[in-house]
Amino acid sequence: MNEYALGQGLWEMGFAAAVPFTLVALSAMAVLLADLWLLPSQKRALPWAALAGVLLSAASVAFLWNEEATGFGGAIRLDRFSAFFAMVFLLGTGLVVLLSSAYARREGVERGEYYALLLFGTSGAMLMASAVELVTFFLGLEILSVSLYVLSGFFRQRPASAEAAAKYFILGAFASAFLLYGIALFYGASGSTTYAALRESFGSAAFPYSHGLLALAASGLLLIGLAFKLGAVPFHMWVPDTYEGAPTTITAYMSVVSKAAAAAAFIRVFGASLSSLQQDTSAVLWVLAVVTMTLGNVVAIAQTNIKRMLAYSSIAHAGYLLVALTAAGEAGYSSVLFYVLAYVFMTLGAFGVVSLVRKGEGGADAGAEALDISHYSGLAGRHGLLAAAMAVFMVSLSGIPPTAGFFAKFYVFSAAVRAGEVGLAIIGVLNSLVSVYFYMRIVFLMYMKEETVPVRGSRSRAGWVALAACVLGTLLLGVLPSSFARLATESIASIF
Amino acid sequence: MGVTVSQYLAVSALLFAIGVAGVLLRRNMLVVLMSVELMLNAANLAFVTFARMLGGVEGQVIVLFVMAVAAAEVAVGLAIVLVVFRTGETTNVEDVSSMKW
Amino acid sequence: MELPVLSLVTFIPLVGAIVVLLMSSENEKAVKATSTVFSGISFVFSVVLMVAYNRAIPDFQFVERASWIPQINVWYYVGVDGISITMVFLTALLSFMSVIGSFGIKDRVKQYFALFLLLQTAMTGVFVALDFFLFYVFWEAMLVPMYFLIGIWGGPRREYAAIKFFLYTLLGSVAILLAILAMYFSTTPHTFDIVELGKTHPFAPGLQMILFLALFLGFAIKVPVFPFHTWLPDAHVEAPTAISVILAGVLLKMGTYGIFRISYPILPDAARDFAPFLAVLAVINIVYGALVAMGQKDLKKLVAYSSVSHMGYVLLGLAAMTPTAMNGAMLQMFAHGIITGSLFLLVGVIYDRAHHRDIDGFGGLAVQLPIYTGIMSLACFASLGLPGLAGFIAEFMTFVGAFPVFKTIVMISAVGIVITAGYFLWTLQRMFLGKPQEKYAGFPDLSARELVTLVPLQVLTVFIGVYPWLIIDFMNSSMESLSHFLRGV
Repeated sequence: MNEYALGQGLWEMGFAAAVPFTLVALSAMAVLLADLWLLPSQKRALPWAALAGVLLSAASVAFLWNEEATGFGGAIRLDRFSAFFAMVFLLGTGLVVLLSSAYARREGVERGEYYALLLFGTSGAMLMASAVELVTFFLGLEILSVSLYVLSGFFRQRPASAEAAAKYFILGAFASAFLLYGIALFYGASGSTTYAALRESFGSAAFPYSHGLLALAASGLLLIGLAFKLGAVPFHMWVPDTYEGAPTTITAYMSVVSKAAAAAAFIRVFGASLSSLQQDTSAVLWVLAVVTMTLGNVVAIAQTNIKRMLAYSSIAHAGYLLVALTAAGEAGYSSVLFYVLAYVFMTLGAFGVVSLVRKGEGGADAGAEALDISHYSGLAGRHGLLAAAMAVFMVSLSGIPPTAGFFAKFYVFSAAVRAGEVGLAIIGVLNSLVSVYFYMRIVFLMYMKEETVPVRGSRSRAGWVALAACVLGTLLLGVLPSSFARLATESIASIF
Repeated sequence: MGVTVSQYLAVSALLFAIGVAGVLLRRNMLVVLMSVELMLNAANLAFVTFARMLGGVEGQVIVLFVMAVAAAEVAVGLAIVLVVFRTGETTNVEDVSSMKW
Repeated sequence: MELPVLSLVTFIPLVGAIVVLLMSSENEKAVKATSTVFSGISFVFSVVLMVAYNRAIPDFQFVERASWIPQINVWYYVGVDGISITMVFLTALLSFMSVIGSFGIKDRVKQYFALFLLLQTAMTGVFVALDFFLFYVFWEAMLVPMYFLIGIWGGPRREYAAIKFFLYTLLGSVAILLAILAMYFSTTPHTFDIVELGKTHPFAPGLQMILFLALFLGFAIKVPVFPFHTWLPDAHVEAPTAISVILAGVLLKMGTYGIFRISYPILPDAARDFAPFLAVLAVINIVYGALVAMGQKDLKKLVAYSSVSHMGYVLLGLAAMTPTAMNGAMLQMFAHGIITGSLFLLVGVIYDRAHHRDIDGFGGLAVQLPIYTGIMSLACFASLGLPGLAGFIAEFMTFVGAFPVFKTIVMISAVGIVITAGYFLWTLQRMFLGKPQEKYAGFPDLSARELVTLVPLQVLTVFIGVYPWLIIDFMNSSMESLSHFLRGV
């Protein structure tokens, strides 16, 4: 068999579906190997190698944009949906790598594993979004999770980081076990673990009652597992501690990639395959959405640590995502996709600013991260651009036009109204009113208070590029959302 | 005198419940880790049972996957416990709470 | 191809804001000059708009329409009719004057002017938008620059005032957003088109009332209607002079404009049912505002509360729904804009010199500052409704138009006029008459720059007072058709 025929054969097996995440995983291994040969002085090439891997994979996604393929015996699928999420993950990863290039060196964790694990995590997330089979999805989730367990504890010397890792690990593994048990039950109920089989078994209402019970139990377990990953109340306990203790760039990565991956898997499983169970799940989701939004926003008000505040804010945003998931239907799910994209820019941007702000001269811990909210007092006077960027992200997170956050929320709430969930939309809107208070408090401190603790901004050029990209993305999605909204709609259409 | 499918499943559910209880009630991180393993193995038992019931091998293959995943998880988990012990001299879950809202 | 005049009026300040942001913050003179130029160009275009506007027909003119977010049927859809054209002009005029009036800003000059120009774009946008989504975007976008402008450059309690303004208005906006969404989803095909909805007004009376109340909450906070007015004194008093001018001159009008533009044409049944309540709220505004203004020692607070009182006349005219009353209300919106705008500028002038605003702390200023005294007296007389000045015509028309509909309420409102006359005259007496005080001896009278900002407004006040048709002509046909539509004649 010549090489061409081999390639042809692989292609026909649907190998194309695996190309994007395989490229990321291969780059991760390359980074790991390169780390062995690089001299300490050459380590600063690592982020660029990782970035090259991200770009390579992004190029492959772009190349395969109009393809559709199912590979590995119906385990993974390449369609617009997985391509969209792949792009979101790669975008997030790329920005995190840029932000990390200065941060990791500064904090003394510039090692090959750091970038390799980031890339492995991304490949796991991509696998989750393209999986059309439960065990494959589980594998993707575990690849992502295990990478994140390690990364959140990457500051080995710091108790907070170790604690972050421990809490994340225990609750994460706990959630995975629920998820796995749910998968086992689905397997028992439908005889297969592919989504297609699920749709066949439970797609119409005509399945036997006992199967229905089994499916409900399985759905419940699966839902618990995904809610953990999403950071939804009451499965959110790990979020604040892990977000606070983990390295800031990793926190950014977690809040964006891990949440988006959970949402992607959710849509594929519950939206596209188990739509007949929707009535049962939507009641549960309704409650989850309300408590998640409310708790996130209310508790965020009381925070004094900026990472912890953003952690609660990310819980609140998980709540908005749940609103969209409750609304379901093409409108609801495409609003999830748009939200996730907007969320990448604004949240990564906010964490990016946090990773760049450091305590200034004077004081024993000069150069350490300035994580107290009060450190942001008077930031505008000293670092106009940093403060302006942060202001844009805060305005966007609170959902004020003309920013990405506004249109994203508008999209979500209008999907909820369209689905008849008017009450949920009103609760959501009121919640986002509450959230304005703590987001604008940061703006208020930066612009209207005098400096209390001297802080300085990192001059990392890569970090600034990432921030600029986030600001641009936030504004672009706010002013011209139409083409991105179309992208989201098309992606959803590809899985129904 | 064959053991029926539902009996296997009952054992599996029991194991899972014991695992859940262990995670929620025990305070030693190592025991918590073991409880999580118990939960995973409860799922494995369910998979094997269903494979037997359905007459396929798929479930048994899945178990192999899960075992590999569980091994990776335990490796990372033990490492994390070790780090926690080194930085805080404790493996008690309740002592690991430097952060509070 | 026709020149997109409305887009130019709206977005030239935004371009200016971007240019200013790119300039060096060292060169404050250049920043001020650039801002003046951009705001000035926008003003010139608004004059072009006034001149080219066809006053005979009530239709929308200068319409521009382009698809913006086709998925949810959102358009970039702008146009002006008799309701909005005077407001666009007022916004451009007051913004231009305020830019010149802001030359005294010393701190973070670049940011100030950039935010100001941003604010101008958002304000103009509110008045020209004919698509609900666009309207809402501008309405909300206005908040952020305003928040900064009050919060950074304001008086001692600026933070409190800024956050209070922000949260209050946002609460109102949320109500508006929900109403917009509800309208969108209860029409088929779903539409955000304000003009279309105004033509078809397709909502059942019950739904209309809910929508009307939600919208009214949003607009009432902006006007502000008692009891939603408590943000106003704080914001007006703490804001820097030019921003107070904008707040009183333009922002307050957005509330009543919203009722004219959205609530009345789209929800006519609810509007009719609600009119008596609106009239009651109006009279409360008029009398309560005047009484509280009388009790003020702080000159700026006095002017702020006088705004509450004066906006009551607009509400009264709205409630009456007769063509005369509505023309009066519309004219009052314009007149109040220029009169109160100049009053705030004048308060700023004296504050710059004396560094306090305590009315009783002044006295005998007529001797030391004759020109200032003259202009201040003119503005006060205009505000209290002296015949021959803009305020009189507006109030008179409102009363005449409303009297047949709400006799008692109009009579009670007339009390407001007496009180208003009382406190303005009393203020003039305390500030300018009496023995000249030593400590104010060295004060310079109005500078050339201050005159540039004040004189045009005074000229307009007198001119409208003498020849009100100048403005009424623009709105009359729109007001008549709206009035006929509402009263079913």
